[in-house]
Amino acid sequence: MKYLKFILLFNILLSFSANALLEVNILKSKEAAFPIVIAPFEVISDSEENIDIAKIIRDNLNRSGQFSALSTDALVTNQINFNFWKEHKKDAVVFGKVEQVSPRNYDVYVYIYDVFSEKSLYQKKIRVNNKGFRQIAHFLSDKIYYVLLGQKGSFNTRLSYVTVTENNSSGRTYRLQISDSDGFNPQTVVRQSNPILSPAWSKDQKKLAYVSFKNNRSEVFVMTPFLKTIPIKLPKFDGIASSPSWHPSGESIALTISKQGNKDIYLYNFKSKSLKRLTKNISIDTEASFSPDGNSIAFTSNRTGQVQVYIKDLNSGKISRATFEGRYNAKPVFSPDGKDLAIIHRVGKDYRVALLDIASRDLTIMTRNKSDESPYFSPNGGMIIFSTNRDNKGILSIISIHNNQIVELMQKTGEVREPTWSNYSN
Amino acid sequence: MSKKILLLSSVIFLSSCGANNISELGDKFLDLINPSDAATEQADLGGDEILIAMDESGGFTINELEQLSNDELIAIAKEKGLGDLIVLDADGNLQNRDQIINAIVESGDLLDGKSAELELLSDDALIEMAASKGIDFELDADGNLANRDELINALMDDAAAMLAIIENFKNSTDSFILYFSYDDTEIDEVSTRAIIEHANFMQDNPSVSLRLEGHADERGTREYNLALGENRALSVKEVLSLYNLDDRIMVVSYGEESPVLVGSNEIAWKENRRVEFSYY
Repeated sequence: MKYLKFILLFNILLSFSANALLEVNILKSKEAAFPIVIAPFEVISDSEENIDIAKIIRDNLNRSGQFSALSTDALVTNQINFNFWKEHKKDAVVFGKVEQVSPRNYDVYVYIYDVFSEKSLYQKKIRVNNKGFRQIAHFLSDKIYYVLLGQKGSFNTRLSYVTVTENNSSGRTYRLQISDSDGFNPQTVVRQSNPILSPAWSKDQKKLAYVSFKNNRSEVFVMTPFLKTIPIKLPKFDGIASSPSWHPSGESIALTISKQGNKDIYLYNFKSKSLKRLTKNISIDTEASFSPDGNSIAFTSNRTGQVQVYIKDLNSGKISRATFEGRYNAKPVFSPDGKDLAIIHRVGKDYRVALLDIASRDLTIMTRNKSDESPYFSPNGGMIIFSTNRDNKGILSIISIHNNQIVELMQKTGEVREPTWSNYSN
Repeated sequence: MSKKILLLSSVIFLSSCGANNISELGDKFLDLINPSDAATEQADLGGDEILIAMDESGGFTINELEQLSNDELIAIAKEKGLGDLIVLDADGNLQNRDQIINAIVESGDLLDGKSAELELLSDDALIEMAASKGIDFELDADGNLANRDELINALMDDAAAMLAIIENFKNSTDSFILYFSYDDTEIDEVSTRAIIEHANFMQDNPSVSLRLEGHADERGTREYNLALGENRALSVKEVLSLYNLDDRIMVVSYGEESPVLVGSNEIAWKENRRVEFSYY
């Protein structure tokens, strides 16, 4: 029986490589990105896996909007022709090699050269404990990003999102999926015929909360996707329960709960199993998002008759309005540094992702779309992922804050929506 | 360990200097920089984490089900009493694989109709239900339910009769769906008249309960629309509560998740901003 299990998992891994969200559009920005060359990596391994590590790295770096990474037909060796790269206006050259030393261990050699100074910026041998080339490529992408920009990358992370497929015989099927940050390796963790909404990762990446209509009403479930356990349902409330947002400590979770029909934000503590009320207003209060320090929440409310975003300081209890431009601002989410909010902002008849500087109240509209939803920051704060519509089909879109470059991801059939980005895994 | 060198094809953008014969590369590469210990680090990327979330009915994981052959799925479906759902073509191939997987995943929730639901109830729950519906039941000398099977049959008959009455009402009126304006929960005069019709029906049939399901159009954010849908259903309930029907009304919201008409246009939006009535 153990043996059977092993075969099963192996098959799954193989089938995944043919299975990913498809990249459809890259809307390039005119603003200059860092021009670099990443040579093909040499791979020495007994694996049959045919994966082009350098290509994954190039795609990652290009998707970030920060780089324009190209390949070369020659592997670079000790004779780097710096003049050639200068002529071709490349600022840095990256090359390397991956050598398997045991079934789970690889020695990864990475070299990064600055073309103008002709000096080495980084050279390292890294003993990596892992069994997948894709993850090694994401790890290396983060390294290169850090060496060249001095900032953390967001590549060795995960996305989660909801897909919806429709079929004449069985109706709609909703799947909660988790994939690599580039949309590869999607794995289904919940599958049902009723809607799924608002997935939210705990900061330690162990738990995933989501809203499910499994019981024909909105309820919040918490699952531990890496353990073989059944999702637990949070206590039953009389009206809707929805919109989960984890406190950074992981000990409690903010929820929208409708008591006697009044929708307010509550904090549910897992240890004491108690509810603490965070907002109290007869209007709709929902879509809470914890600040990274856990000291405040941003939320959506129609308390003035318009839908606007508010921030509550949980220490002083003070609630202040955060959005002043426009008549519809909703679904706020804090940037990882806590200084900005990504929100959905109505412009005319359109709903677009916008970036709000909390202190200065400056609002920057990021897209030209008609119906953006569910924005979420990459863990380094450099990108925002959100869902939108293309040709009446729900797709995911990733925008680089640096230069507004957009990458769109879709499924071959059906919709994809409700994206979130996991934090760093350690 | 036998190693083989895999050189991976890649898109070529630039022609470059000093074409290197690839086969020479291995040793040269190591010579290039012989990293000192100081330049060596360790990284554990995990990679053991394979998602093994169980489907909610227990047993098979969703990924496992999706990997199974049609024959294996058929066997599991039969074991779970889902044999009736299996559709085979002339060659005996499974035609509705997705539906079968869904059914297995949801089999934890499947009940064989109303009678199975009643079978599961305790005697006390049955007695309570019978009392609320004015159906006679017999107790034995110890105060236990004496005619359980008969009572279940009577409750089934009662449920069937109730369904017929509800169906009849449904056919006699077109007010089972009420519509709303954008971001609005206001009940207009036409809707008020429709709600009064429902109030009268509920007063005439004291054992029916009502489920009010609120919906929104796709514009705006999903969670806000979930709240808005509930407010729409609640404003319908508010009118009904003038007739003291509160205890028999359940309010749920689907927000924008369950559109009647899919599309990004005024016609679809208008159809989707609604409250649906369903009796049970």
